[in-house]
Parts: sequence; C-alpha cells; structure tokens
Amino acid sequence: MAYSEKVIDHYENPRNVGKLDAEDPDVGTGMVGAPACGDVMRLQIKVNEQGIIEDAKFKTYGCGSAIASSSLATEWMKGKTLDEAETIKNTQLAEELALPPVKIHCSVLAEDAIKAAVRDYKQKKGLV
Amino acid sequence: MGNLCHFARFDLKPAFRIDLDDLGVRYRKRAREVHPDRFADAGEREKRQVLEESAALNDAYQVLRSAPMRARYLLSLRDGELPLEVTVQDPDFLIQQMQWREELEELQDSADLPALAAFKQRLKAAQERLNDDFELCWQDSARHAEAVRLMRRMQFLEKLNHEVRDLEERLDD
Repeated sequence: MAYSEKVIDHYENPRNVGKLDAEDPDVGTGMVGAPACGDVMRLQIKVNEQGIIEDAKFKTYGCGSAIASSSLATEWMKGKTLDEAETIKNTQLAEELALPPVKIHCSVLAEDAIKAAVRDYKQKKGLV
Repeated sequence: MGNLCHFARFDLKPAFRIDLDDLGVRYRKRAREVHPDRFADAGEREKRQVLEESAALNDAYQVLRSAPMRARYLLSLRDGELPLEVTVQDPDFLIQQMQWREELEELQDSADLPALAAFKQRLKAAQERLNDDFELCWQDSARHAEAVRLMRRMQFLEKLNHEVRDLEERLDD
C-alpha cells in the first residue's frame, strides 16, 4: 500500500520522539494499544502554569500511519490548552495525513492517546 | 451449513484448550471431502455450495488454530461479537510491551541470534501463561472483563511473535 507524502515525511522525520518523566506532576502520560495490529503508543504532555501544553513527546511501535498520526498529534498539541487539545479529532489527523480507510484506526488510536494523556494529567492535579 | 459453529464443523465442542494436531487431522479430512476437484462434474448449485463449504471450513480452521482468535470467537459466541480492532488501555501490560519492542529493536541491530532465541522463549512462556489464565476465567461470565483483557493481550503477543519470526528470517538470510 502506498503511503501519502505526509505520512512518509512524519515516518522518516518523526517530530517529538522521546520520553518525559512520567513521575513529574506536570506531565500527563497516555498509553494505548491496538491489539490486532500490535501497535503500542505512548504520548506525553508537559503542561505549564498557564495550563498550556509546552511540550509533547511520543513513542510508537507500529505501522507508518500510526507513527505519523502520533507525530502529528504531538505537533498539534504543543501550545494548546488542555481543552483545545481534547478537541483534536481523529478525522482531522486522518485528513491531514490522507490516510486510507484501512488506516483510519491508527488516527483513532492517536486521538485516544491524546485523551488518555490529558486525563492522566487532570487526575494528577485532582481536576477530575 | 453456512451458520454452523466453527467447532461443530470439526465435530468438536466449544473449548479453549484444543489439540492442534487433532484439529489439523480433522481439517485435512474435511477439506478433502469438500475439495472442489471432487465436484468437477456436479451441477452449478452443488458446486457453489461446495465452494462455500470449503471457504467456511478454511475460515473456521484459521480461527480455531490461533489462540487469540479462538479466544475471541469463544467470547463472541457467548456474549456477542467483539470487535477485532479496539483501543486498549492496559497501562502495565503496554509498558511491558513497549520494553519488549525496544529489546527486539536492539536485537535487530545486534543480530544476536542466541539472545533472540532467549527472547522467543520468554515470549512463548508469556503466551502460555496467558492461555492458562484465560482457560481459568473465560467460562465465568462474572469474569468477562478479565477474559476480554487477557484475549487482547494474546493478540498483542501473537503480533509480537510474528515480528520475532520475521526478524529470524531476515537474520537467517
């Protein structure tokens, strides 16, 4: 299957690969997986005092579409508030990356990872 | 015949623990019985039925011979269809999966065959433990959530096992 240019770009030059300290109270970690593909995705955010996501990192084991979806998700999350980040939809990621229908679930995984990271942060801060 | 349970196709009762050698014997016997070549002179309707039968038999065999697919099928029989593709949030297990994948990446770079064999053994042991745990809980509807979680873990490990085998082949070349 042919990947779109944008997927290949994110796959070859992934943005924000790495790890933040999961024990840091200002860091939220989302760990999600897609069992049938075996994809595992870790997405982390660091939130500053103004409630802005000042850093985001990811590590994904999976196909090119899953890597591109999480790479793009971290790009989009940086500089946003938590509420804004939570409005990022898988359909937007899929559209930006021109994912084919069989790869839509990769963008769903990335959206679920965003939500899991935000929820983890909010739980740490007693916001939920 | 189209709606026959996968197990019934092989005259087996639904069970998670099955003898795969015995399943293979039963499959090959049934596959010969419905082989399209044997129906070369049959009418169109019968030919179509035999083709459908043969396809259904192959499907059933593919599902039953794989532990995660068999597990998903058993849970679906009782509780209704479980989707193939879902997002799971099983943090400790996923953290471990990520570590294993990092290890596998390092093994790919080092091309360390003995270490890869040891990795494979560890994976196999983990798969057997999962199978044992699943066997203990899948028939108890009060433990449905646990059974589903274990089945999802089996799916991850099977995928990882495929990757280990792919890597073995690449390193063999």
